[in-house]
Amino acid sequence: MNAVLKLQFAEAELYGQLEECTDAELDDLEFGVIGFDSETIVRRYGAYESRMAGLSKDRVVGMPFFTAVAPCMNNFLVAQRFDDAAAGAAALDAVLDYVLTLRMRPAKVKLRLLAQPHHSMRYVLVNRAV
Amino acid sequence: MQTDAAEMAAEYQALLQFLYMSPVGLAQITGEGEIVMMNPVSSQLLMPLSNDGELTNLFTALENFAPDLRHHVSSFSAPRGTVCDGLRIELGPFTRSERDPKVLSLTLLKLEANRLMAVLNDITQQIKHERQLRQNEAWINAIIVGVTDYALVSLDREGRVESWNESLGRVTGFGGEAVGKPYSIFYPEGCITAHRVTDRLSEADESGWSLDDGWRQRADGTRFWGTAMIAPLPLQHDGKGPAYCLIIRDITDKREATEHLRRASECDHLTGIANRRAFFEAADLEVVRWQKAPRPLSLLMFDADHFKEINDRYGHPAGDSVLRHFAAMLTLTFRECDIVARIGGEEFAVLLPSTGTPGALAVASRLISAVAVQTLEIDGQRISYTVSGGLATMEPEVTGLAGLMKRADQALYAAKNSGRNRVQSFA
Repeated sequence: MNAVLKLQFAEAELYGQLEECTDAELDDLEFGVIGFDSETIVRRYGAYESRMAGLSKDRVVGMPFFTAVAPCMNNFLVAQRFDDAAAGAAALDAVLDYVLTLRMRPAKVKLRLLAQPHHSMRYVLVNRAV
Repeated sequence: MQTDAAEMAAEYQALLQFLYMSPVGLAQITGEGEIVMMNPVSSQLLMPLSNDGELTNLFTALENFAPDLRHHVSSFSAPRGTVCDGLRIELGPFTRSERDPKVLSLTLLKLEANRLMAVLNDITQQIKHERQLRQNEAWINAIIVGVTDYALVSLDREGRVESWNESLGRVTGFGGEAVGKPYSIFYPEGCITAHRVTDRLSEADESGWSLDDGWRQRADGTRFWGTAMIAPLPLQHDGKGPAYCLIIRDITDKREATEHLRRASECDHLTGIANRRAFFEAADLEVVRWQKAPRPLSLLMFDADHFKEINDRYGHPAGDSVLRHFAAMLTLTFRECDIVARIGGEEFAVLLPSTGTPGALAVASRLISAVAVQTLEIDGQRISYTVSGGLATMEPEVTGLAGLMKRADQALYAAKNSGRNRVQSFA
């Protein structure tokens, strides 16, 4: 993959492509990427999101996503969607308007929620360009 | 120097993370409610309330649930201080999942003219525990506190007084004529329905006891504030004998203290009628009763017509007087067993147990006409106003209180659309 073919936030079939990205490639993307496992522990954290949130990767990876990293998404709008998808063994690919509190400043963003049945990694993508 | 900068960066991150992880919602707002800064839990709690995916103003975000917030802040004239401390905000039955809060607590601290700090907390679980505690306390009060005088009455399977005894005569003044009458004779008119008489017997069967506080009536028609506890009795071998015992206690002297507490948590501060929280609590219970044993149950929603114009033209204090006046009209019109509440800025709801569409329509029409012909004198200004109403009656296909409210709201909308100053039932 090179800069010209960089993945886009709204791209179709994004889940599989993110899974194939190396961490360095993830860091190169121009939207926030957070990947967490079925226990909600953060496993992947892109550099873009790290800059926006003001937190370095080593402070976030290994933490429970919905309680320690992004409590703002621990409600029916986000967390519930992942739970429902997991419970129904269904794929999840949804985009929604949201307000994050990056460095405590309210910021309007678009979130994209991605999950695949029988894959433990789930992704939340954050696009600030709205 | 460089290590200093690195240290500061690390400190900064630690501080950020501290705020990201803090388990309460914190926000800094302007006097107009604009959100300047907030932490993630604020967004977690407030985003589900947003209709448009926006979250820029705290007052707007909470408008449907705490309509007076803006007013509270603008009328807080001191340069700094606590505007509200642990204000309970009932989000009602419309939350979309179990994980979402049903009650928030809000503390607002004014730091300077245009800077306030808000602390938001999900207190759903705490409220649940409190409710349980309150019940336990009421139960203990009923059985052990001040047992100097009480009436012990035996009831048959249908809740009729089975036999007379001295304590019954002493506390209620009733003689032998009470025997064979339902225990509702100890309640003033409008305080209990025939269905509720049966409900309380089944509640006693299910949970071992049923307890309520409220007005009771003596044989001579005078009232006292009392508790009534019903408990099932083991059946005799021959299936005869009393089925329940009813204990009535006169607690008039204790009422003032408990009323004060009850009013603080369950009454709307402006109008004195029930607030959202008390409404949802009581109405939820009524819907559960309906689900167990369907019977007529109606919900009326009222909304003051052109209320914004009244506020704009005569000022907020006059608007408040109109709301207080309408609340008083509601209290006069409906029975004591009806649940009358202010559930939004100029929105009111009344739940009528054991009342079907024709009955609810009749009383609502009467009320609406009565409001329209009155003129209020407020600070030398003469103000007339009208209200619109929407009616929905519980049906098997309606899901819960939320479904019933949705229907009443649609009916209210239809009443507004067809010219206001009228009541419309859900079609």
